[in-house]
Amino acid sequence: MPRVLTFKVNIETGKQGPNETVNFCFNGHKMPFENVTGSNESDAIFEGSFDVNSFAHSLTLVGPEKGKWNVEKVTVDYECEGEKPYVVKWGAVTLDETTEMNLWQDPPAPMFDV
Amino acid sequence: MNFIKRFFSGMKQKDSVSEPVEVVKPVSEEKTQSTTSSTASAESDAAEKRFADAPPAPRVVLHAPVLNENIFPAESEDILIKAQPSQTGDQCMFTVNRVLMKGASWYFDSFESAAESSLAESLFSLDDVETVLVCESTVTVTRKDKTLIDWKELAKEVGAAIRGSIEEGSCLIAEKIISSIPSEDVIREGIQKVIDEEVNPGVAGHGGQINLLGVKGNSVTIQMGGGCQGCSAADLTLKQGIHTSFRKAVPQVGAIFDETDHTAGLNPYFS
Repeated sequence: MPRVLTFKVNIETGKQGPNETVNFCFNGHKMPFENVTGSNESDAIFEGSFDVNSFAHSLTLVGPEKGKWNVEKVTVDYECEGEKPYVVKWGAVTLDETTEMNLWQDPPAPMFDV
Repeated sequence: MNFIKRFFSGMKQKDSVSEPVEVVKPVSEEKTQSTTSSTASAESDAAEKRFADAPPAPRVVLHAPVLNENIFPAESEDILIKAQPSQTGDQCMFTVNRVLMKGASWYFDSFESAAESSLAESLFSLDDVETVLVCESTVTVTRKDKTLIDWKELAKEVGAAIRGSIEEGSCLIAEKIISSIPSEDVIREGIQKVIDEEVNPGVAGHGGQINLLGVKGNSVTIQMGGGCQGCSAADLTLKQGIHTSFRKAVPQVGAIFDETDHTAGLNPYFS
């Protein structure tokens, strides 16, 4: 379980977007993103980041308060203590007021050529 | 120094007026107590009111597919192999830039089981290889010496053996193995039966449960729930308990994937 220094998200919304504040949940704490650009309305791209400085148990993207949100693609750039920065990309998912989307993945195990 | 002088002189002053302070004390305490009790009752009322509202319903965590980008340069004619040891160091996965076993997987637990499969035979000829799992374009190897976690040396030997088998052009996986793989329905039925009759009754004592998520070819995907989710012994349960039961009941089962998110859940590990 690494200490997350900061993470940055890029969310591509599909045909349906709620156009409301985008929140995430870090270890069960719900918060809005910082350094926000764009939005989560239909066919828009949202970007935001957060300086966490805490150990990650869970990280999720909170679904909209009302309606549906067609998330086409999410790219997350992580910077963790003692690890090389890494990027994880997720595919399509539809969120609503009862769901959230997992955004956490441990740093990848080292890989080498043989 | 001035701070220390002030501190001591302050203490002396306090000592010299200790009696009047003692007389006044009960009055102030009473006041404080009454204020505290009224504040406390107001707080408890507020708390009662707050907790009288139903807590927000927990949201379901969805897992979108992770988009893997190609780890090899496109259209390379060379045989490229990447080694990725597991976090626990007990096994290492080798990814090759070509398909080794199309649409299926196979688990080799001994040299004898590798007969006529040139890929597995060449791997078992290495001293430290214990088991071999071939799945599509990957080979996962466990080693005999569990005290060693540095895979660099063995990984090079495994890489050379895989490359040698592919270059040789002989049958990587025996024909008799490929023809013995039953349909997905047969695998699903057998695995579900062993989950219902053997695995789940066993883990139920720990508040756990195992669900069969899917079968693709002869590879199965399971999910651990209840007390198994987030349990520190989940890896042991999976590898020594579930894998053994599955392979004993359905010998043709290949890869067994676990899609449990051990950091989430509403009832992880005896909450």
